Amino acid sequence: MTADRSDGPTRAAVRDRLDRVTDPELDRSIVDLEYIDAIEIDGERASVAFTLPTAWCSPAFAWMMAVDARDAVESLPSIETAWITLCEHMHDDEINRGVNERLSFGAAFPDADGDIEAVRAELDEKARVARQYDAVETLLDAGLGAGVLVELRPRDLDGIDLARAVDDQPTATEAEADPVDGLSIYVRDRSFAVTVPAEPIERYLEKARETGLVSEPDEILFRTPEGDPIDAESFDLVHRRGRLARVNMSSQGGICDGLRESRDGRREEAADD
Amino acid sequence: MYQHDGEDIFVIDGHVHLWDATEENIIHDGGEQFIQCFYDYHTTFTPAERQWSMDEYREYGAERMIDDLFSTAAVDMAIFQPTYLTDFYDEGFNTTEQNAELADEYPDRFVLNGSFDPRDADPGIEYLEELHETYDIPGVKLYTAEWRGDSKGWRLDDEDAFRFLEKCADLGIDTVHVHKGPTIRPLNRDAFDVKDVDDAASSFPDLNFVVEHVGLPRLDDFCWIAAQEPNVYGGLAVAAPFAQNRPGKFSEILSELLWWLGEDRVLFGSDYAIWNPDWLVEAVLEAELTQEDRTEYGVEWDVETKKKVMGENAAELYDIDIEAKRRAFRDDQITDRFDLGEHYAGEESATADD
Repeated sequence: MTADRSDGPTRAAVRDRLDRVTDPELDRSIVDLEYIDAIEIDGERASVAFTLPTAWCSPAFAWMMAVDARDAVESLPSIETAWITLCEHMHDDEINRGVNERLSFGAAFPDADGDIEAVRAELDEKARVARQYDAVETLLDAGLGAGVLVELRPRDLDGIDLARAVDDQPTATEAEADPVDGLSIYVRDRSFAVTVPAEPIERYLEKARETGLVSEPDEILFRTPEGDPIDAESFDLVHRRGRLARVNMSSQGGICDGLRESRDGRREEAADD
Repeated sequence: MYQHDGEDIFVIDGHVHLWDATEENIIHDGGEQFIQCFYDYHTTFTPAERQWSMDEYREYGAERMIDDLFSTAAVDMAIFQPTYLTDFYDEGFNTTEQNAELADEYPDRFVLNGSFDPRDADPGIEYLEELHETYDIPGVKLYTAEWRGDSKGWRLDDEDAFRFLEKCADLGIDTVHVHKGPTIRPLNRDAFDVKDVDDAASSFPDLNFVVEHVGLPRLDDFCWIAAQEPNVYGGLAVAAPFAQNRPGKFSEILSELLWWLGEDRVLFGSDYAIWNPDWLVEAVLEAELTQEDRTEYGVEWDVETKKKVMGENAAELYDIDIEAKRRAFRDDQITDRFDLGEHYAGEESATADD
C-alpha cells in the first residue's frame, strides 16, 4: 500500500484539497458534486480530470473551478505541478490550455468582455449571504435573538482562531485529529455563553473573510447583502434575503443535477451502443 | 378549462413559441448550440415517455403546436413571445411575423407580442411602430443577451433602451417581458443580470415588466427588485417543470415568489416547445407546498391562488375577459376540432368582485 506513504503525495490528499474547491454558483464542493472523474499521481505531478453537468456550463465558472483546482492541488508541499483536464465542455480546449499554461482568462478567451473577477466577487457575495443564513439559523436555534445577533463580533466566538483561519485552514485530516465541532459564543458583555455547532459559523466566516467584510476580531459579524451592519428592526427581512439566496443556489443546483443526470444517461446509452 | 378539485381553471400559457431550428435555417454555430441547449433542458425535465426526438424538436410546425396546446384543454389561451436571434438563424428563430400566422388564424386563442432591439436605433423604432400598426401588439418580449454583430447583449436601463420603452408607453404597448433566465450558451451570462430591470421599472411606472424564468439563477436579485417595484411580475417558465421532478425545490421557489411578490404577480408559462403544457399544467396544479414551507413562509398554493397564477393574473395584464372567452370557446374552431364543448359548458363562476 505505497499510496498511503506519508512522505509522498496521495490521492486522498489531492482529493482533500479538491474538496475545498467549490462550484462558485452552487457554493458546494466539486468533490461532493461528483464532478471529479479521475486523480492520477506520477511523482510530484498530479493530474485531475473533471466533468461539469453540462457542456454549456458557463465558461467563466468552468474556468474558476479549473484554476481553483490547480491552485488547491499545488498547495500540497509534495506536489510540484497539477495538470487539469476539463472534459466534454464546449470550451474545454481554451480552458485546459489556458489553465495549464497559466494564462489569464482574458488571454484564453480573447473575445470575452474582460476578466472574470467581478463575476467571481458577485458569486462569492451570494455565497456569503447564503452561508450567513445557515449560521444565523444555527444561532437562532440556540436561542439567541436579533438584538444579540446584529451586534455579534468574531471576538465573541470562542474556539475560532481568526488569524489562523485566514491563512492556514486545517485540512480535513488535521480537523479530524483536532475536532472543533462546537464553539461557544459569549454575549451580553461576556456575561453568559451558548454552545453551538461550529461548522455553519466557520463556513460563514470563511466567506466573510474572502469577501473582505470581516477580518478583524471587533468587526460586526453579520451584514446585509450589501455588506452593511444590520438594524435590529430589519433583521427579519435581511434573514429572509439570506434564505432567498440559499433557495436560489439550491434551485440552480437542481437544474445542474437534472442536466447532469440527462447527460450521464446519454453517455451510458452511447456506451451501450 | 382545466378541471382541478372540482373547479374550472382557465389557463393562459404566458410563454409559447413557434420556432424554426432546422439545419437549413441555422447560419451560425450559436444557432446549433442554442437549440441543443434547449433540448438538454427539454430532456432533463420532461417525463421520459413524453420526450420528443431532436428532429421533431427542430421544427414541429403550426399543426402540432395547436394540438399540443389545446387538444387536451390544458391550455385555453397562449401568449406568443418571439425570440428573433437573427444573427443565428437565417429567417429568425421565432419572429412576430412567423407567430402571426397562427395568431391570425385563431385570434381568440392567442395573444401576439412583438419585440424590439435598441441596437437597431431609428429603423428599430420604425419597426416597433410597424408591429404596432400591423398587429396591434399589446406587449413585447425582449432578449437582452441576444448577439448582434460584435455586441453580445444590451441592458434595459441604458439610454437607447429607454427610448424604445418610451415609444412602447406612447403606443400603449404596456407589457414588457424580459428573458432573464438560466445560462444559455453561447449567450453572454452578464446580459442575464436582472438588475437592469430595477431602473427601467421605476422609470416607467405605467409599463408592466414580466421577468421571465423568475430570473433563475438570479431569483434572489429578482425577488428583491420585485418586492420594491409593484409593476414587476414573475413568469414561471423554466421554474414550472421543477414541479415534475424536483417537487421539494418547486415548493421552495413558489413559496419565495408568493412571499415576496404575492399571488397577484406570478404568471404561469410553459415555454412551449421546451416543455409541453399538456403534462406541465397538470404537474403544476397537482404540486403541493411542503408542510415545512407552508409553516415557514405562511403562504398557500390553494385553488384561488392557482386560478390567479394559471390565468387570472395574465388576463388582468392583457385585458382578457375570462367569462367572455369562456362563452366564446363553447363553439369556436378549436373546441369543435378537439370536441372540447363540455370543458366550456359549465356554470359561469360567480364573479362578485368584478
